[in-house]
Amino acid sequence: MLKLIQVEFLKLRRRKFIWLMLLAALFMPLAAVFYFASVKGTGVEPIEFYKWTAFSYTPWIILPVVLGMLCTMLMYNENQYDMLKQLWIVPVNKMAYFFSKFAVVLVYSVCFMLITAAASILTGVLPGYIAFDSGSVLYLLRKCMEISLLTAFAVLPILAAAAAQKGYILPVCLTLVYTFLGFILLMVNMYLHPLSSMTAIVMRDIPGVVITQPLNIPGAFLCIGVWGVASVLLAGAALKKRK
Amino acid sequence: MELLLWAERRKLRRSKILWIAGFATVMVALIVFAQGQFTFYESRYIDGAGWFMTAAQSLATFYVLPAVIALLGSYMICREEQEDTLKSLRLIPVDEVKLTLSKMVLALVFSVLIYLLLFAITFLVEAVLHFEALSIGLVLENLKTYLLDGIGVFLAISPIIALVARMKKGYWLALVFAEIYSFAGLFASMSSQLKTVYPMTAVFNISGYYDANMVQVFIGIIVLLACAALALFILKGLNRKAK
Repeated sequence: MLKLIQVEFLKLRRRKFIWLMLLAALFMPLAAVFYFASVKGTGVEPIEFYKWTAFSYTPWIILPVVLGMLCTMLMYNENQYDMLKQLWIVPVNKMAYFFSKFAVVLVYSVCFMLITAAASILTGVLPGYIAFDSGSVLYLLRKCMEISLLTAFAVLPILAAAAAQKGYILPVCLTLVYTFLGFILLMVNMYLHPLSSMTAIVMRDIPGVVITQPLNIPGAFLCIGVWGVASVLLAGAALKKRK
Repeated sequence: MELLLWAERRKLRRSKILWIAGFATVMVALIVFAQGQFTFYESRYIDGAGWFMTAAQSLATFYVLPAVIALLGSYMICREEQEDTLKSLRLIPVDEVKLTLSKMVLALVFSVLIYLLLFAITFLVEAVLHFEALSIGLVLENLKTYLLDGIGVFLAISPIIALVARMKKGYWLALVFAEIYSFAGLFASMSSQLKTVYPMTAVFNISGYYDANMVQVFIGIIVLLACAALALFILKGLNRKAK
């Protein structure tokens, strides 16, 4: 298993696009700079600033879309060059293959949020919007870890859909619709969709966030778990069926 | 040119992408419908006449449809390279600029069709829910908004499709660019100057979703034409590179 994961990372080495996608992590911190420059001015509460840079649209939209894209690319890679047959001949266990892809998604998600965290601190401290203090930085890092780990699990359905498909178009459109659905369901019912459940878990102790629905953390974990297990089973079945 | 258009249409007949794009559109309508169940001051959003039609077009334009249209366009262009049919086409010989241009025209048609599909769905739902509350003026106004959205969104993302045609194999890039580009419109709409010149929000100025004066509409048209000109300029370099 460890060897498979290592091989997966070696495959990524030369794919420039995967690295380019990390730049999307800088989007919200930069947007925050423009926003605070025109609206608020200096001397902002650090948490208030981080809420803009790291806890809003990044986990709601940007991170899921980027991860969904990554899932599709990882799965499409083998199909495109017809390598899958050779992998089955080796033989590579089909579930181990799936989980090694998931490990890449997990690590990528953590890297992405770490970049977001670093960029938030830099864009906040350098122009002097916020003061640098260890308490808020640790809080930011803890939250970013939570977001990255939970989101990686929440995009498991997309990874499964990509594994079940030969093309890339359906998984990609699914990513867009899935993310959008998660974002809209935030306001309707948080405990139906893994992404909105992830937001419920992350938002539980951010000061100043008003949640209209009663907070149900076990329910949110249950939702992510059920969707995750269902997609692993689906991916297993689909990969077994495919020659 | 007519022959090329006819050929493009025939090529799409068996491809699944149109179904998938249609599926994405239907899903968007469903998701916005779910959001309409949300109650605000004792009344559901969906009960307001015209709410569904207005909300669906703005949310779809910010989050989903530009990326889907960009995917559609770039898929049509990249498949020739990917499925190795480009060589045979060059032998005929087919002018590559004209070929790409006919693909772009088809993408424009599909962009309008996708928006009309969304309009048809939202209109039917509104008619089923409260037919007597709808006035002809309201419906025609929305139809105009959707039509102009379809044309405008295509013009706004045409440089991205052209860029992808230039780079080949880079359809991932088209998707991410288009998604971030349309999503950034949310932030651009916060400032009134930026709102006028940012292509994605200029589309709204023209289509009548935002209240805009004549000058803003005029600037919007110029911005979109500039986008189209940029796309043509990028395409013009295509043939030189191919040799």
